[in-house]
Amino acid sequence: MLDVRDVVTAYGKIEALKGVTLSVAEGRITCLLGPNGAGKTTLMYSIAGILKPRRGRIALKDREITGRAPDQVVQAGVALVPENRLVFPQMSVRENLTAGAYLRRDRAGIAADMERMFQRFPRLKEREGQLAGTLSGGEQQMLSVARALMSRPRLLLMDEPSLGLAPLVVEEIFRIVTELNRDGTTIFLVEQNAHMALKVAHHFYLMEQGRVSFSGTPGEVEEAEVIQRAYLGSRRAD
Amino acid sequence: MDFYYGLAQIIGVHTLLGLSAYMVLLTGQVSLAQAGFAAVGAYVAAMLTVLAGMHLFPALLIAGIAAATIACAVGFPALRVRGLMLVIATLAFGEAVRLFFFNFDYQIAKGEVRVGPLGGEGFRQIRYFPENGWTTFEVMLLIWAIVAMVMAALWWMDRSRTGAVLRAVGEDELAAQSVGINLTAVKVSAMAAGGFIAGLSGGIYAHYTTHIEHANFGVVLATFAIAYPILGGLSSVFGTVIAVVFIQGVLIEGLRFMGDWRNLLFGALIVLAMNLRPHGLLDPRSLAMLRRLVGRA
Amino acid sequence: MAHDLAQNTVDGLMTGSAYAMLALGFTLIFGVMRRLNLSYGPSIMIGAYLGTLVHLQFGMGAAVVALVTVLGAVAAGFYVERLCFAPMRGQAATASMVASFAIWMQLEELATLLLPRHSYPFPALIARPPFEIAGILIRADRLLTLGAAIAAMLALWLLVHRSRFGLALRATARDRATARHLGIDVDRIGLIAFLGASALGGLAGMLVIAADQQITPMFGMWATFKGLVAMMLGGLGSIPGAVIGGLLLGVVEAHGQWFFGPQLRDLLVYALLFLCLVLRAGIGAGVPSAERRI
Repeated sequence: MLDVRDVVTAYGKIEALKGVTLSVAEGRITCLLGPNGAGKTTLMYSIAGILKPRRGRIALKDREITGRAPDQVVQAGVALVPENRLVFPQMSVRENLTAGAYLRRDRAGIAADMERMFQRFPRLKEREGQLAGTLSGGEQQMLSVARALMSRPRLLLMDEPSLGLAPLVVEEIFRIVTELNRDGTTIFLVEQNAHMALKVAHHFYLMEQGRVSFSGTPGEVEEAEVIQRAYLGSRRAD
Repeated sequence: MDFYYGLAQIIGVHTLLGLSAYMVLLTGQVSLAQAGFAAVGAYVAAMLTVLAGMHLFPALLIAGIAAATIACAVGFPALRVRGLMLVIATLAFGEAVRLFFFNFDYQIAKGEVRVGPLGGEGFRQIRYFPENGWTTFEVMLLIWAIVAMVMAALWWMDRSRTGAVLRAVGEDELAAQSVGINLTAVKVSAMAAGGFIAGLSGGIYAHYTTHIEHANFGVVLATFAIAYPILGGLSSVFGTVIAVVFIQGVLIEGLRFMGDWRNLLFGALIVLAMNLRPHGLLDPRSLAMLRRLVGRA
Repeated sequence: MAHDLAQNTVDGLMTGSAYAMLALGFTLIFGVMRRLNLSYGPSIMIGAYLGTLVHLQFGMGAAVVALVTVLGAVAAGFYVERLCFAPMRGQAATASMVASFAIWMQLEELATLLLPRHSYPFPALIARPPFEIAGILIRADRLLTLGAAIAAMLALWLLVHRSRFGLALRATARDRATARHLGIDVDRIGLIAFLGASALGGLAGMLVIAADQQITPMFGMWATFKGLVAMMLGGLGSIPGAVIGGLLLGVVEAHGQWFFGPQLRDLLVYALLFLCLVLRAGIGAGVPSAERRI
C-alpha cells in the first residue's frame, strides 16, 4: 500500500530522517515504535506532505506522492490524525467533521458518512453542536479520528493516538483502531505504548535516530531484546 | 566634503535610532514607539539648550533620561500585550506623543525674538552648534563618538550574561520564566534602555537640523527605526549599522540619480532583501562565515 | 446641545461605517495571516488613483471609476501578497511587516508618478444636497456608505459562517497546521482572503473618496490607520467586532472634534486605543490565539 524508500528529511542542516525505508501492507495495521526524537513525527509529516523530503521516494499503491502538497496527498487517499489531536476548539463537532471532508464535493456522501461517524462514535452524536474545545481528551481524540475518516482515506496515519489519555480511553481508542481496520482501512500507527500496540498491530518497525533499526512481526518483537528492554521491560501503564 | 559629513550625520543619528529598536527587539518586543521617544529627547534637549541655556552634554543626558522615563511608562502597560497588539499599542503611543508636540506651545522672549516650540510650526532656531562655533566635521565626530559609545556598550552587553537573558526572553518567554528570569524587570529595562538611546538620537538630531516639528517623528520614522535591526538581523549590533548604511547611504542617497523612480527601486530592494534573508542581512550563519574569514586573515 | 449631540452621533456613525469596512478588510487579512499589512491603505489608494486617472483621461463616469478603483485595489493587493506575504509564510512575521512598509513607500511614489499634483478631483457618486430627518442633516452619499457597510458585514458573515470556503477560512485562521492535514490549501485560502479584503477596502476607499470628492497620496496612510484602529477597538478578529469598532471610532471622533477640535481629537483617539489595548478592553469577542504572532 505505502512504500517509503530511502527518505531523507532535514530541518536546515539537521537530518531528522537519514534514509528511511519501510512499507505498509494493505489491509493491515503497521506500527512504528521508537524513542522521542527518533523522527517518527517527521516521517508522518513527510508522508502527509507537510514536510518535503530532501531525497528518497514515497509511493502510495505504486503512485508516487513524494513532495506533493498536503491537499494532493489527502486527495490521493492519505489522512493524518495528528499528534495531540488538534481539533478546532472554537468550532462545533459537526463543523470539525465537515472540515474533514473539505476536499469532497458529494454532499449526499458527506452526509451519509457523517451519520456513519455518529453511529461509530455515539458520544460525538450527543455533542454534535458543542464546541470541540469543551470535549474531554478522549472525545477530542475520537473527533480527530472521525474527522480524518471524513476524507474517506485508504490509508490512515495516526501519530500517537494514546498520548496523554487515561488507560480506559486508550483501550477504547485501540478497539476503534481494530474496528476501522476490520472495515478495510489500512493503518499506519506511531505508538509509544508498545503493550497496547502488540495487541492490535500486524507488523512493527523500530526507528532510532532517523533510521529504521528493526522490522518484524509481533512475535519477533517479543523476542527482540532491544525492544524488550526499552519498551516492554518496565510495564508502562500510560 | 560637507555633503559627506552631512550624510554621515544622518547615518549616525539613524544608527542610534536603529540601535534603540535593536535593544527592545532583543526581548522580542516590536516597538513602533521609538520615534515618539526620539521626539521626547529632541524637544527636551532643544528646550534645555535654547530656553535654559544649558550646555549640550548635560542636556543630551537629561533628554535621554526623560525619554527613558517615558519608555518605562510605556514598558509596564506594554507587558500585557504581545505580537501585533504590542505593535499597534506602541504605534498608538508614538502617534499620541507626536500629536502632543503638535499641540505643544512653550515660547519665551529671547532678545528680539520669541523662541521655543510652537505647535504645528515646530521648534525653530535651535542654534547651539553655530552659536558655539562647531563645524559640520566636529558635529559629525561628536555624533559618531556617541554612536561608538552606544555600540560598544551594546556589544559588551550582548557578550555578557545580560545579553543572554535578553535573548532568552526574546526566544521564549515561558522558558525564560521557568529558569527564573524576571520578565517584568527584563522587558521594562530593555524598553527604558531603548528609550534612552532613542532620546539621545532625537536630542542630537534636533541640534544638527536646528529645526524640528512633530511631522519629523511620525510613523515613517518609527518604521524605519524598527526596520533597521530587522533588516540587519539580531545577531549583532553591526547588522543594524549595515542596514542603516544600506538604506540611508546606498538606497536613499545612492539612488538619488534615479529621481522620481527612487522609491520604487528602494521598496523593491528592501522587499528582495527581506525575501532572501527573512532573519536579516547579518544572520547567525553569515556572521559565523565572516568570523571565519576574519580569523583566517 | 442635545441636537448637536445627536447630529454628531449621526455624523460619527456615517463616517464610522467607512472605518468599519476598512476594519472588516483588515480583520480578514489578519485573521488568516496573523500579520500586519502596512500596505493595506496604500493599495486602496493606488486603486483610487487609477480610478481618478480614468476619470481625468477618458472622462469616465462614477460607475466606471468605482469599478476601476475596486479592481485596482485588488491588483495592488495581489502585488503586496505575492511580494510580502506568500514568500515569507511561516517564518519571520516582522519581515512581512517591513516588506509591506517598503511597498507602501513604493505605492506612494507610484501614485505621485501617475499624477504628480498634491490632490486631484474624484467624481461624486450622488450629487444632491443633504436632506433633513427630525432636524438632523443627512448626506445621501454617507447614507450609502452606511448601507454598504451593513451589506458588506452581512455578506461576509454569511460567507464565513455558512459556506464551504468560510469553513476552510476559519479552519486556516484557527490552526494552519491542522487545516493543512485536512487537505485545505491554506496558501490559496490566504490569497483569496487577501484579495477579498482588498476589494472590500477598495469599495470603502471609493465611497470615502467620492464623498470627499478629492484624492491625495496621504489617503493610504489614513486608511491603514483608521482600519487598524477600528479593528483593534473592536477586539481583533471578529466580524461584528470590526463593525462595532468602526462605528465607535467614528462616533468618538465626531464628539472629540466637537469638544476638543481636530488636533486633540486624534490625540484622544490614540490615547484611547493605547488604553484599550493594554487594558484588554476590546469590545468584540477577541480571538485568544490572535496575539501569538503579528
